[in-house]
Parts: sequence; structure tokens; C-alpha cells
Amino acid sequence: MNFLRITQNALLLLALPLAFAACKDDDKDNPQPNNQDNELITTVRYTLTPVGGGGAALTAQYRDVDGDGGAAPVITYNGGAARLIFDKSKTYTGEILLLDESKSPIDTISNEVLEEANEHLLVYKTNPANLLTITRTDLDTNTPTPFPLGLQTTVAPRATAGTGTLQVILRHQPGVKDGTETPGDTDVDVTFAAEVQ
Amino acid sequence: MAISGWLAPVHGWAQAPVERLLTTNCGLIISGQVLDHETRQPLPGATVVLLRADGSPTGAATTTDAFGNYHLHDLCAGLYRVRFLFVGYVEEVDEVKLNRPMVISPQLHFDAVQLQSAIVRATRPTESAPQVSTALSANDQRSTRGQTLGEALTRISGVTAITTGPSIYKPMIHGLHSNRITLLNNGVRQEGQQWGQEHGPEIDPFVASELSVVKGAATVRYGSDAIGGVVLLKPAPLRDSAGIGGAVHLVGASNNRMGAASATLDGNSRRWPALRGRVQGTVRRAGTTRTPDYYLSNSGFAEADYSAAVGWQQDRWGVEAFGSRFHTKLGILTASHVGNLTDLRRAFEAPRPLVTGGFSYVVGRPYQLITHDLLKLSAHWQPIGRGRIELTVAHQTDLRDEYDRFPPRNDALAARNLPELSYQNRTTTADLTWDHPAWAGGAFTGTIGLSGTRQGNTFSGRYFIPYYTNQVGGVFAIERWVRGRWLLEAGARLDYRALLVKRALGTAADYRVQRDQFRYLTPALSAGAVLDAGPHLTTRLSATLSQRAPAPNERFSQGVHNGQYEEGHDLTLAPGEAPLRPETARTASLTATWHHNPRLNGELTAYVTQISGYIYSTPILPPVLTIRGPFPSYRFLQTDARLAGFDATARYTLPPHWEVLAKAAIVRARDTRAHDFLIFQPADRAELAVRRAFGPAQPAAGHHLAGTYAQVSGQAVARQTRVSANYDSLDYQQPPAGYWLLGAEIGTTVTAFHQPLDLSVAGTNLLNRRYRDYLNRFRYFADEQGRNLTVRLSARF
Repeated sequence: MNFLRITQNALLLLALPLAFAACKDDDKDNPQPNNQDNELITTVRYTLTPVGGGGAALTAQYRDVDGDGGAAPVITYNGGAARLIFDKSKTYTGEILLLDESKSPIDTISNEVLEEANEHLLVYKTNPANLLTITRTDLDTNTPTPFPLGLQTTVAPRATAGTGTLQVILRHQPGVKDGTETPGDTDVDVTFAAEVQ
Repeated sequence: MAISGWLAPVHGWAQAPVERLLTTNCGLIISGQVLDHETRQPLPGATVVLLRADGSPTGAATTTDAFGNYHLHDLCAGLYRVRFLFVGYVEEVDEVKLNRPMVISPQLHFDAVQLQSAIVRATRPTESAPQVSTALSANDQRSTRGQTLGEALTRISGVTAITTGPSIYKPMIHGLHSNRITLLNNGVRQEGQQWGQEHGPEIDPFVASELSVVKGAATVRYGSDAIGGVVLLKPAPLRDSAGIGGAVHLVGASNNRMGAASATLDGNSRRWPALRGRVQGTVRRAGTTRTPDYYLSNSGFAEADYSAAVGWQQDRWGVEAFGSRFHTKLGILTASHVGNLTDLRRAFEAPRPLVTGGFSYVVGRPYQLITHDLLKLSAHWQPIGRGRIELTVAHQTDLRDEYDRFPPRNDALAARNLPELSYQNRTTTADLTWDHPAWAGGAFTGTIGLSGTRQGNTFSGRYFIPYYTNQVGGVFAIERWVRGRWLLEAGARLDYRALLVKRALGTAADYRVQRDQFRYLTPALSAGAVLDAGPHLTTRLSATLSQRAPAPNERFSQGVHNGQYEEGHDLTLAPGEAPLRPETARTASLTATWHHNPRLNGELTAYVTQISGYIYSTPILPPVLTIRGPFPSYRFLQTDARLAGFDATARYTLPPHWEVLAKAAIVRARDTRAHDFLIFQPADRAELAVRRAFGPAQPAAGHHLAGTYAQVSGQAVARQTRVSANYDSLDYQQPPAGYWLLGAEIGTTVTAFHQPLDLSVAGTNLLNRRYRDYLNRFRYFADEQGRNLTVRLSARF
């Protein structure tokens, strides 16, 4: 019957989307490793070298290779310690290293921060506030007065022993950097445990 | 055919009351029922025109309702002719000497000559369905031109929107949104990135000549994503008389200095009358929106849309091809693009956004770039005595690129200017329906349908939702029985869904693809009744049962999106925690419609929706720690929910000039498992408008202006007080205070160059009040738009 034939044809037409979608073969279309074209900071490493030698360098590292969420970030300290342990009789020079370990090869983000020093500011905070005195020693190229950058620091522990935290913040401030923390966005905000002995 | 114009369906509020069209008011009524002479069945959608004794028009006309009834009110005594028209029937003209209320119930005869063409050209009668469907009235459609689809729909009582700044509106019906609302654009289910709350529908509303909303579950007809309701956009049928016509709409707004222009050109071939077509295009451009005190920096947008249709329409069959593109670049409020919780608190505590600035048309970072393409082929066939078969095949491509506030630090990467998040969604749908011929003397009618969807989603850039392939096959049947004043309807549907999700795990050096396959069989059932309780009262009762399978984002989304960390349910299951299961929704609604009354008309809908396994996004504590610090964090969970409420609309007409319109909507949403309120539900709202008409309603000799009106309206929205007692631990701010806004509009129709030209000026938030809305995702950072004046001009030719 004519009617039946038309219905059959219509059913064939109905299968059409499956046919031309199948051409794309999206079953075999697989996701690529994350973030090849995106910038991601996965690792913050703070290395503190005692001034004038004498004793090993201290390091604190925050690492979250799979980005936001997923596996929890891992915080480690030199020698498997539970915190950064400062000697109150010493001062330290500090250096921040920022990495993107999701890329192959690994991308060193702190180099980009240095290149664009006029758009970045590192901020250091301790709790209690006097636990460590941290001074930014590097400057950007802002005119007329350069502002601090903060990849390079000197750290002076207080004279009395105690424990607390050390917070490292990277502010991204394109076009709005004024030497204060307020303008811009936060690109890094990590907190380490610290102790003065 | 000239009469097809008369048959344009007239719904609800759009129905211009006949009495207002007459210059004098004498209070007599002609009413009756139009029937088919052979079957004695009522003829819904038949046209009734009142003529003077000399055959000249009085301007009064109406159409019969779903039960063939009509009413012409407030007529003066005198001699008239009443003309009854219905496609496929011989017209009937009755001469009337009117001196008391009269009942005329004509029985129209089949017209054998007209019948052939009439079958295909007749507009389908107004669907009288148990589930209430409300169309945007002609007045509302006119005064929302130039707005986004979602904003225009909020004119319908019971419909609100989740907004993201001044230009992104996501429709919300009776408290449900996103994955629970289906948008049917020109007969095709809109498939884009519907899951995101800040993803507005990628549709140009200028394409549609009619916008309507099915308030409540329509899952049997439209599939499991229609638990909350359906938004229907219907373009006008292609031109069926030889020649060329069109329309031009121009809109200018003062607040964001928006300009919008839309033009449509319709044509029908003189040589091949079956051939017809349309081209249409819209451009919209807006700069920074201003609140009473400051500019919302980077809130401009630039949009360009176009569409084309070509059809071949024969007596018993027709084919049509339709293609459209929607393209927009939408700025996102700079101040909203905040970092971690510390930044967020800083932004919240600021009395005004931390970044404001001045007016600009420039759309800078952060922004969204959206392109949605639709190609649709449809065909219908009406073999004599075998009903109607319709086939629609459509392909949609939805590309959404989201750009963060700052480009990458790496210069080489920054130079490529890639979006930080980019989603690509490709969907092919096919729908086959058969309206079977009426049987048992016309008492039974029904539709049987098959539908298929294949959807592939990919992304590049940052992970937020996974790659997935979604295949759905559905079959449904809806049957109706009409007898006397009753209509009963029952429907059933079965959907099979196969969802394959692919995720990349690990790092670049060591990565693998995790594939998860899900299969669901979800049923939907519906039952309903319509009772024409009297000539002026229709009641509808509807009940549905449906299941919805979890969407890929509800299971597997993960990452920071617009300053919020969001996570699907199944990614981080606690030991013993079950993965998401389909949610089951039971709905019931009751609607009473008072219609065709001379003075008071209105509609009241009461509903209750109970969803077991309701999937929703809720804040999680402690917030997820990222290298940028802790972010406000949300995760999808499942609970049981009950949403109940009512919508009311009323219109009181004081002939000949005045009209009062009132609307109110209330939603009560409970988490019945936690015995608490659901978060992010619309607050109670009400609206009152007073409208006065001046001069003749239709162009008339000796008058330069017609249809002149002035309207003043007030809208009040309460504070949402029905929130959890521990709200401070759920949201960053308490719901904002209630507000009320004053609006006004004047308009008229000028006849220029023998063509009518609609002109109007509308003002919103005339008192320039500072306010924030609970459902605006930017309410934490910024106020809503201040005073805005919009000038609209429309011409048809």
C-alpha cells in the first residue's frame, strides 16, 4: 500500500541523522590531555637559602598537577618536614619558582612573571604577623618609581621561637598595579606552615 | 487566500475584545456556536465578522473558541450582517435586526471546491490541551521587541529568569530551569550548552511571530527535559499569496544606548504559487549598562543573526528548508570576574563594584562568543482520510567560547587569543509524527510520534564538562477524546538514552581516556481533562509522571567557571555514596480560564510538582582549595523536592477606553528530605497596569492615528524570605530587599505611504531606583539597570 511505503521511507529518513552524525565518528574523537593551550599554575616552590651559607636551604612546595579539584593538592617541605623550620639566628634569601607541570615540557611561569613584572606583585603574609619579616628585594620597571615585584625576598625570623603560617599571594594587575595588593586578581594564594626555632 | 489571514489563531490575552473596537457601547450581545452541518461537531477557530447592513465592516470580529463558541459584546441596536468563515466551508452571512441579545448558531457546509486546498492551508485549531499554554500577548510582544528571548518571556505570569548581568536571561518556569526546560525553536528542540545558568538561549526572538510557554510538564510530547515546561517559538507561516511583503523593526534604548534592527522579507512566486520563501536578519548592539549610580563595566554586546526559509507547498503535502545563525559577543561584568574567596569578600563588601568606568561600546575581556547554527528540513503529507504525517530533521551546531579576564602571560599563547573555555556541541534530531484521522465520529483524535537525537559534545581549553556522545530514541502516543463539553487526554512515552562520557585523566606526559557508558530507559505518562464549564469558563486538569536521566554536567562537570568551583556528583563519590540516578517527577496542575467576558477575564493556575531524586547544585563546605586559594564551591546532589504555587492573571475592561491588568505569581519550593527551603527560587511578585485607549482601534477615514494607547505599570517583587535558617552558610549574602518599579508606555499606529507604522516609547524603572534581584547571579557585585527609555518603530508592507 502506498501509505505503508511512504511510512517506510519516512522511517529511513528518520535514520538519516544517525547516518550523517556517524560520519563524524565522534565515538573515536577523544579528549586531549588538559590545558595544552591554557595557562595553569600547578606548582609553587619557595626556596630559602641561609645568608652566608651554614645549613641546608629550606623549601616549601605546593603542587596540584591536575588543576582545580580532582586530586587534592600536595604540600611538602624540605627533608620531609611538617613545616618550614627557620633558625632565629639566621636570615634567608627567598626565591619563588612557579611551574606549569601539566605541560610537556614543563613551563616555568615565574619567567613569564618576571618578563611582565609591571603586571605582577607577590605578597607575603605571616600569622602571627611578626613571625617573619619578609622584604621584597626585586623591582619592576615602572616609571617614574619602580614598584616591588617579590620573586626575590629576604626573610628575617623573629627573635623568639614560635609557630604559625606563611601565605604567598601572586596578584595579577595588568594596567592597574600601584604597589598595593588591592587591584587585580589572585593567581596564586597558598599557605605553608612555618616555625621559628 | 484572503481568509487565511482571518484564521490566524488568537490566544488568551491576545484576543482583542470586540467591544473596544466599537466607538459606541450599547451593551447587546450576539453569541452562539459554529457547527459542521454534517457531523454537528463544533468548529474551533472559525471567524465571525460583524458587518453593517450595507456590507461595510464595523471593525468587530472574533474567532470561535476550542468548542466553537463565539461572543460579540456591547453592540448597539440596529441592522447588521454577521458573516461566518471557516476554511473548507461555504461562508454564511446572516442578516440580523438587533434589539435584544441574540443567539446565532450556524451550521456550515463543506465546500467541495475549497476543500482540497483548505486541508493544507487551514491553521490548526487552537490546541486545547489540559496543560495550560500561555502566549505572549500582541501588546507584550510589541513592547518587548529588541529584548532577549528570556527577558521577553518574563512578561508571562509564572515565568521568571535567572539573569547574569543585564544581557543574559535564562527562562525559569514555576521555579525550574536549565535541564528541565525545553525550548522548541521552529519545531526543533534547541540543543546548545543549556546546562549553564549563565548560558542564555541562543535564539533571536525576532524569528518568531508567536512566543508561548507551556507551564508545567509536557514530557510526553517533548521528552524528559520538559519537566518544568516548554518555550515555543513559532515563526509565521510562509507567505501563501503571490507577491512580496515584509516588516522592519527598529529599536533604540537610552540606558545602554542599544540599537536593534530587524527586517523580514516574505515572498511567494507568481509563476509557481507553491514556492515561497523568507529571509530575515537582526542586528543588536549595546554598550555599557548604567545603574542609578555607576556603569556596569563591560556589559555591552554585539549580536548579528540571520535566517532563511524556502518552502514548496502543495495541496496535500509540503516541504520546507530553514537555516539560521545566531551569533553574539557578550561582555561579562568585569567586577564579577573575581578570584578566590578573599577577593570575593572584598568585592561583596564594596558598596559599588571595584571596577566601574564609563560608557563604551567596546566588549573586552571577559566575554562569551557564541555561535548557534540550525539547519532544518521538514516535510508534511496529508493523504486523504489518513491524517497528517510530519517529518522534521535538523542539525544544530553550538559553539561557545568563554574568555577570561586576562590573556595568558605567555606571549606566544596570548597572541593566539584562544578562549580559556571552548565547548562545541553538535546535535542531529529527527522527529516523525502522525496525527491519525479522527475516528468514532470524530470523538477520538491523536498523535503518534518517534523522535531521535544524536549529540556529540567536545571542548578545548580548560576542562569543565567532558566529551560525551548522547543518543536518545523515543516513542510516544497521545490520544484525545472529545464529547460535549469534555475533552480527555492521555499520553505515554518511552525514551531510551545511551550516554557515553569520555574524560582525559592524568597529565600530558601520562594520560589516559576514561570512558563511562550509561543507559537509561525513562517513561513518561500524562492524563488530563478540559471541561468547558460554561461559555465563559474553561477548566483544565493535568497530571504527569516522568523520569529524567542525569545530564553529563550533573555527573561530571569540574572546575572553576565564572568564579565558582563547580563539581558534578559522580566525580568525588564518598565511600558508599551512590552515583546519580534518574529523577522522577510527578506533577499536577489545575487551571481555570475566564474568557470572552465583557468585563473581567482571567486565568488562575495552581500547581504542585514533586520530584524524587531532584538533582540540584548546592554549596559545599569547606570550599575546594585551589592554587589560587579556596573558591566558592558547589556540587550536584540529589534530594526530594516539592514545588507548588500559583500564577494569576486578570484583566478588567471598562469600555470604551480603560483596561486594568493584574498579574501575580507565587512559588513555594521545599526540600522534603531535609525539611528545608530550596535555594535560588523566585520571590513572590505582582504587577498592575492601567491602559487607556484613544481614538479608533483600526485605521479609519478621517483619523491619522489608530490604536493609540498609554499605559502605566508597577511591578513589585518581595524579598525572598523563604530560605534556610542557616542561609549564611549556604550563600555569600542574604537575599536582597524587595523592590518595586514604575513603568510607562505610549504608542500609536500612523498611516504613512498607505502603510501602517507602529510607534511606541516605553520607560522602565522610571524612578531610577537602586535594586538587586535575588535571581541575578551578579547581585553580589552590582545593582540592576537604572532608568531606561526605549523607542520602537515597526513597519509592515
